[in-house]
Amino acid sequence: MIHFNTHVLLVLALVGGLVAVDGTSFGQFMISRPFVAATLGGWVAGMPQQGAILGVALECFHLGVLPVGASKQPESGPAAVAAGAFFAGAEPTASILILTILGTLLLEHLGGWTVHLERLINVWIIAPNGALPTVANLERRHLTAIGLDFLRGAVLVMIGSLLLSLVVPVLDPYWGLSESLTNWMVVTFIIAMLAGSLRMLGSKYWFAALGAGIGLVGLWMTR
Amino acid sequence: MTRYPASVRARVLLRSFLIQGSWNYETLIGPGFAFTLLPALRYLHKQRGESGVPQAGGPDGATGETLEQAVARHVELFNSHPYFATVAVGAVAKMEADGTPPAIIERFKLALRGSLGSLGDRLVWSAWRPMTAIIGVVLFLAGAPWWAAVASFLIVYNSLHFAVRYLGLRMGARSGLDLGGVLREAPIQPVAERASQIACALIGLAVVLAVSVTENNPGRLAMAVVAVALGLALGSRTRKILTGLLWAAVAFALLLGLLGYGA
Repeated sequence: MIHFNTHVLLVLALVGGLVAVDGTSFGQFMISRPFVAATLGGWVAGMPQQGAILGVALECFHLGVLPVGASKQPESGPAAVAAGAFFAGAEPTASILILTILGTLLLEHLGGWTVHLERLINVWIIAPNGALPTVANLERRHLTAIGLDFLRGAVLVMIGSLLLSLVVPVLDPYWGLSESLTNWMVVTFIIAMLAGSLRMLGSKYWFAALGAGIGLVGLWMTR
Repeated sequence: MTRYPASVRARVLLRSFLIQGSWNYETLIGPGFAFTLLPALRYLHKQRGESGVPQAGGPDGATGETLEQAVARHVELFNSHPYFATVAVGAVAKMEADGTPPAIIERFKLALRGSLGSLGDRLVWSAWRPMTAIIGVVLFLAGAPWWAAVASFLIVYNSLHFAVRYLGLRMGARSGLDLGGVLREAPIQPVAERASQIACALIGLAVVLAVSVTENNPGRLAMAVVAVALGLALGSRTRKILTGLLWAAVAFALLLGLLGYGA
């Protein structure tokens, strides 16, 4: 089990609260995107580069998720902070990476469910007993809802980091595929997710082919 | 909001970052809209006096309504893309200052709800955000330091974000009821289209870079082609189906390990 000391857990909770409010309540500066949030988690745990490696994989999984209207969506931010912090302190093997990705996807759904619950609670915060806010209490009620969102993120990150650090190290010794094959598996999933998001972008395949061509020429020139 | 002092305009702009703070299933961002508009409403009603009577030097066209009544109108149901909400806030602040009848403001907000949401979804969520996120991914896969990749994503993304909030507020405040025509002329669709094209090109580049980080093996090209074909075939269902496949793959790998075929 990876040990998070109290200081690291508290800082993680703070970062988790910030990325949770960034998701909806405050700003949407995109520090809640998996790439940024996982890097932040890794940074808190002392290995931002490790966090960023996980963040790239999670970002590819999250590219096609669109927050349209009132639809329920998996929440990327707090889950990625917890996962980034866990992965930063773990052995950087492909099996740990893939188990962490899977754990993060589960935590994202847990996060999405808490967002749904919070939106129901916000109905009561904003209009208790159906009484809509007035000049005297509008700001207090609005800011209370933001505070609740912050708390939700902080708690989610603490639970997420502890769950990952308990479960992944127990499963990892039973991993039955080679490191090389597992690496391939991770990259295959990443490539498929990237290709899958092309349709969301209007299926501009010629542009994708152009980008791939530029990449191949660049690789050829640097070798 | 040319009739409002700079301090009021600044407070409205800053509060717009919190507009979704109390997002809920009944009034959506209605309370956030009122929260954002409140400094402007307070200024107007202070100028007019709580009775609604215009005072010398204050904005004209008072409606005779109290601040409480004005706030009550704006906490009702409203929705928009969070960045484009400043367009509506600016326009409504102008209409309030002009003394536009509340019923017309309500109809105006109702008409804006769908279109501002749709504009934001098309420009920001579906084009700009994927493009900027892939910029970060590509830089990292190409070997840039983590901080450079993260900073590039955040800086490029937020350049449009801040521009939309600031210019949106200004555009709304200058246009008021004429906002529809101004929005139609804004170059939103061409920017979204160009961002999508760049994002697609970057995805192609990211795929090549992702393959290049694996071991040099003749099978990797075939693997990449299969993965691309799978992604293209699945489209919007990719995440859901690949998550299922990931579960299956992990279960298989763990089963092999349990049966003693460990790596």
